[in-house]
Parts: sequence; structure tokens; C-alpha cells
Amino acid sequence: MLFNSIDFAIFLPTIFILYWFVTNKNLKLQNLLILISSYIFYGWWDWRFLSLIIFSTIIDYLIGVSLSKQENQTKRKMLLWTSILVNLGFLGFFKYYNFFLDNFITAFSFFGTEINANSLNIILPVGISFYTFQTLSYSIDIYKRKLEPTKDFIAFSAFVSFFPQLVAGPIERANNLLPQFNKKRIFDNKKAIDGLHLILWGLFKKIVIADSCAIYVNEIFSKYETMNSLTLTLGAIYFAFQIYCDFSGYSDIAIGTSKLFGIDLMRNFNFPYFARSIAEFWRRWHISLSTWFRDYLYIPIGGSHGSKWNQIRNVFIIFIVSGFWHGANWTFIVWGALNALYFLPILLTKKNRKNLDTVAQGKHLPTVKEFFQMLFTFGLTVFAWIFFRADSVLIAVKYITNIFSFNFEKGLQYLLIKRYAPELLILILLFIILEWNSREKEHPFFGKWIYFKISLTILALITLGVYSNVTDFIYFQF
Amino acid sequence: MNQFIKYLISILVLTIGFLYLSDFIYTQVYINSKPRNKLQYILNTKNDNFDVVFIGSSRVASHIDTKLFDSLSHKKTINLGVEGAGLNDNLLQLKLLIDSNHISNVFLHIDTNFENISPSNIAISEAMPFLKNKIIKNHLKKYFKNFEKLEYIPFYKYAVNDPEIGFRELFFSGINKKPRINPNVGFIPKFGNEIPVIESSLPNIIREENIILDEIIEICKKNQISLTLFISPYCSKIKTEDYIKKLTNKFPNLINLSKGYNDKLFYDCGHLNNQGATIFTTDLYNETKGNLKINARTHNAE
Repeated sequence: MLFNSIDFAIFLPTIFILYWFVTNKNLKLQNLLILISSYIFYGWWDWRFLSLIIFSTIIDYLIGVSLSKQENQTKRKMLLWTSILVNLGFLGFFKYYNFFLDNFITAFSFFGTEINANSLNIILPVGISFYTFQTLSYSIDIYKRKLEPTKDFIAFSAFVSFFPQLVAGPIERANNLLPQFNKKRIFDNKKAIDGLHLILWGLFKKIVIADSCAIYVNEIFSKYETMNSLTLTLGAIYFAFQIYCDFSGYSDIAIGTSKLFGIDLMRNFNFPYFARSIAEFWRRWHISLSTWFRDYLYIPIGGSHGSKWNQIRNVFIIFIVSGFWHGANWTFIVWGALNALYFLPILLTKKNRKNLDTVAQGKHLPTVKEFFQMLFTFGLTVFAWIFFRADSVLIAVKYITNIFSFNFEKGLQYLLIKRYAPELLILILLFIILEWNSREKEHPFFGKWIYFKISLTILALITLGVYSNVTDFIYFQF
Repeated sequence: MNQFIKYLISILVLTIGFLYLSDFIYTQVYINSKPRNKLQYILNTKNDNFDVVFIGSSRVASHIDTKLFDSLSHKKTINLGVEGAGLNDNLLQLKLLIDSNHISNVFLHIDTNFENISPSNIAISEAMPFLKNKIIKNHLKKYFKNFEKLEYIPFYKYAVNDPEIGFRELFFSGINKKPRINPNVGFIPKFGNEIPVIESSLPNIIREENIILDEIIEICKKNQISLTLFISPYCSKIKTEDYIKKLTNKFPNLINLSKGYNDKLFYDCGHLNNQGATIFTTDLYNETKGNLKINARTHNAE
């Protein structure tokens, strides 16, 4: 079920009414309602996927309970590894099996050995990368004795499958989300209204900005060979805004929806394109995944401690794994490696903990230095996004080569979608101004102009939204 | 909770209000602006006399050089070919045109569009602002699956057709921006030569009948309009023989010009370029000049 669908527009109010008016007197019943509705929400794609999530839930619940009872360190380790192997096993099979198979075949044929193996026709279960990481963090935290396991199976199942964040995050930590399922929720007007605002803003980002960009991006990337340097550059910039508005829009809707049920989710994006360095960018982009990798991979392998060589190795590991998490394609690996390269100089000069505040805090405009820092960081991320978006590394390289051919022959190219290539820039510039003015908040709906801003957003959703070609959220494929 | 529900209701009311307001503004702008597409042009014509009307898809729009045909035949010619249009859209164009004008000859382009009877999104979207027009309303009611949604949900018709009649087109209509094509003439030449390497073919099977074409034939008969069916060329990469043979068996009078054009005359495999269009228009005129019906009104005026 998509957030931007009629199905969800019926589903959400129905669950909301049942939650606050029918099951509100009984916490267990409320959790059961969340669980059932989450399974309906997930099963809407394909009911067969439910078996995976149910299996994963049972395994991690049992391992959690066993870990708390077990004092023998070897047995505790075995239990943890069972959780890791089951979760990563599912992920590996469904997401990476064909990738590894194809690459092994290619590698062996390079050395003259022909291998006959058939790739499998596997459908990737929606959201598997998100919920496996969520349950993994639960087991790891219990193993490290940072968390007490829950004995309430319904509450645990609701934590794993909570529908607002089930298919594309934020990837929640058990110590934030699970206690909320064990506590009576009282309706909070302010929180619910804030949730509505987030949903509205998320829909605007997705339907108005991301989906508009998608039309141009698809056209430019699919016909990159006939496009001039200006159009190709615009294509890459449009994709930067498409993926940001698509994913952060989803996160806003997820967090907003969750607030309607009295549950707080962690923030997933914090205006990443206003970052003054790549280090700051990664503190503001897909925060729930970045912090997951930081806590469960980067720090355990040594983080920024140890010799220079170890530090460099750790940076490459975390960025490449993070890239690979996104999908079974070399493009994501190169994207990750590029970000590691960007990050290295900052780490080696020990500037990675700089810029922890919001840019131009309390001011209207940034300084000239800050402006160019933001522009440079944005330029680097746009360059890396080309690899993320391209179908193969070779295509990405050709795309970049064409940009740097400095061919401006056709000027402002007229695309087959019956639009001039730069037309979308006006909308994006307006969006940047809006974001800039609300960079110290979560959304632009605050202050004395709040009702005016809400009205304009609704009007923009109606008149500027893309409804002729409803698209999935990009991160569903991961 | 009460405060939240009141707030939610006010947002919903605001949204519904904006939907009605936007629908009203969009409709008024399109109704009152200068024509930017061929359907608007048809709706703006009143008591006009057309000797020759060409209808079809982009293969008509970019193949018939209207001015050339006009100068060869000395007859008032218009090209109403619309990209993506099917026979159903052509039927609507014809109904609207004969409602307030007089036509002598209709040239209808037939190819694989014979396989389809539904309205196309691209062409029908141009009709959306004019849903109150009786002819359009009755036509869409009969052939468009989700007509009720179009009629009763405010702004739905504009939302689902946003590439064609969304905010961008509204803005250009509002400021009366000159369109890229001239709907009064209707010829949209293509320039260049991009023939693909891969070969393809037209379908092997042809449908038994097409009720839309039957209706077009019926309307022409009733209004004493001479109807000529014709087919324009494909490049050598497309195998056309089987299908066109079946088509000519069905319509023995079909003017078949599907072959005999050098690949250099094509923009792509289905569309001639500007140079090709000039040759094709001349060929079509030569093939049909003896059958062109004289328009009594324009003839008397001369």
C-alpha cells in the first residue's frame, strides 16, 4: 500500500478511528490492532512476504528471551550469530543471490572456466533491508546488555512491523520504539496536529517535487547520449532533488503518521543539502541508517581510532557496505566508495566533527564561505548520485564524460516530454527557499504565516502535483 | 481530540474548496483563451467551410503539408492529425467539426489504429476543459470508462491529465502564449533522419470490425461528406506486407501509399521528415485529385 494512494487514504482514518475510539482502553488490544493493520498494510503488496517477516519476528523474539536468560558467553554468542545469520541470510538470498552468482560466473569465465548456473527469478520482498536491520539491532543490543528483552510478543511484533516505518524506515532502535508499545498512549492534540503537518509536507515533497523531477530525470538519463552538457548536468541535479524529496518525503509521512498514533519515530533527514561538508551531509542524510552503521559496524571495527591505515580501511568498509545495502549493483558500490573518498580528507585532517550546528543559525543568509562550502558539498553529492541513478557503472561513466565534453550545441534542449530541460529549475529554487527558511525546524508550518503556508501547500499539491503517473517511493526497491 | 478533529476538518474543507476553485479557474481559462491545440481550434470554428479535412494521428500531422495540398488542389485544407490520437479521437473531432461547419472531403488515416476503439489519453485530455459541451459529454459518456469521475470529482480531469492540461499549459493559455504548432494549419513537420537498426513488423492479425470506423463512415454518409481512407509509408525496417494486405482486403478503396519511399525521407520509422512529407503530400494529391468533391459553398463564392 502506497502512502500516496487512495487505498491508504481509506486505510489510515479507519485504523485511526479503531485505535482511538474502540481499542483505546486496552493497551494490548491497541498493539494487536497495530500489528494486524501493519500486516494488512504489508500484505497489500504480496501476502507471501508476510511469512518472512513473521518468521524473522519469532526468531528474534525467542533469541532475545534466550539471551537474557543465558549467562554462558559462548552460548550467548551462538544465539547472536543465529540472529545475524537468519536475518542476513534472508537479505542475502533475496537481495544478493543473483548478483553474486552473475559476478562469480563473469569472474570464472574471465579465467577461462565456464560455469553453468541459473539465476533465480526472485522478487525482493518490500522493506526487507529495513526490518531485518531493525530486528538485528534488537538482538545485538540485548547481547551487549544495553537492552532488556520484551516478554510481550504482540508488542515486539508491533515494533518489528509498525506500518508507518515498515517498508522504508526510519530504521528504529528497540530502545526508542519498543518502550512506547509498552506504555499507555494518550491522545496529544499538539503531536497529532504536528503529525498532520509532517504528512502534508511529505506529500508535497513526494508528489510535487520528487515526481516532477522523476519525469525529467527518466527522460534525460534514458537518452543521455543525445543530451548536451547543460541538460545532463540538470538531469543529475534533478535526480539529487528527486531522491531527497522522495525519501525524506516518505520519512516525513511515516513520522507524521506515527505521531497520529501517539508514537515518536526518530528523525531521518535534517536538510542534508545545506551541509557544509560531506561529514555533515552524512549526519543529515538517512540518519537512521548512518547511525545504524556507525553503531553496529563502524565503531565495532575500530571507527576513527587506531592507525591511519585502519581509519582509512574503516571508512571504506562503512561506505562501501552502506552503498551495497542499497542494492545488488556495482553502481551502489562505486557510489559508496566515492563518498568514502570524499570523506577521507576530512577524517585525516580531523575536521569530521566540525559543523555540528545548523548553518547560519539565527541569520537570514549564510556567509560567502558557508555558501561556497554548501555549493561544493552539493556538487560532490550530485556527482556521486549519477552512479546511484545510472543502470550500470559504464553508463554512469559515459554520462559523466558527456557532461565534461562541454557540448552546449543544442542550447536549451526541448525534451520528448514536451518540456524544456531547465523549466523545472523554478520549482526547485522555490523549494530551496522554503527549506532554507525552515532549516531549524522539521517542516515549514510554523509562525504567524502558518495558515497561509498550509493553504499554499494544499494548492500546490492540487495544481502542481503529478497524478498522471503515480510512482513508487524509490527506497521501496532497497 | 476535538481540537484535532476540528483542525482536520478545516484542512479537508480547505482542500475541497481549492479543488472546486481550481477546477473553475482552469475551465474558464481554457474556454476563454486562444486555441493552443487542434481540439480548441475546432471548438472555435463556427460556420466555416472546409474543402478537405485530414484526420488521424501524428502520422497525419507530420505527413500532410497542408499549404502544399491547398496550393495543389486550390481547396481549403486543414490537417487535424494529433499525436497519439486513435480512431475514437478522430470520431470526436469529426462530430465537433460538422456540428457547426461544412465539410466536403474527409481524409482518414488508417493503419494499426484500426485495432483500437478506445479514446486515447493524449487526445482526450484536450477535451477535458469542455466537458459541458454536449457532443463531448455524450461521446465520452459512451466510450470513456471513468467518465463519472471526470464529471463529478472536482479537478480530477485536470489532475490525471497534468502533462497536457496541467499548470504549465494553463499558464501558457492564460498569457495567450503562441503554441509551438499552428493549429490553423496543423502540419507539424519533422526534421532529421534517425532510422533504427532493429527491425520490427506490424501485427499479423487484424480485427474483424471496428465500430468506431463504422460510425465515422455512417456520419460521413449522413452528412454527404466524401470519405477517403489512406495509409502513409513506413521505413524499410518495418515489415508491413501481411497487415496491409489484410487491411486492403477489408477496404478495397484504401489509398495505399505505405511503400516506395526511401529511408532517407524518414524522421523515424513511422514518420516522414519534412522532405518526405512534401513528396507524400504531392503523391496523395495525385492519387486522389479526381475524387475530390467540390464544396458547393466555396465553389459558388469563387
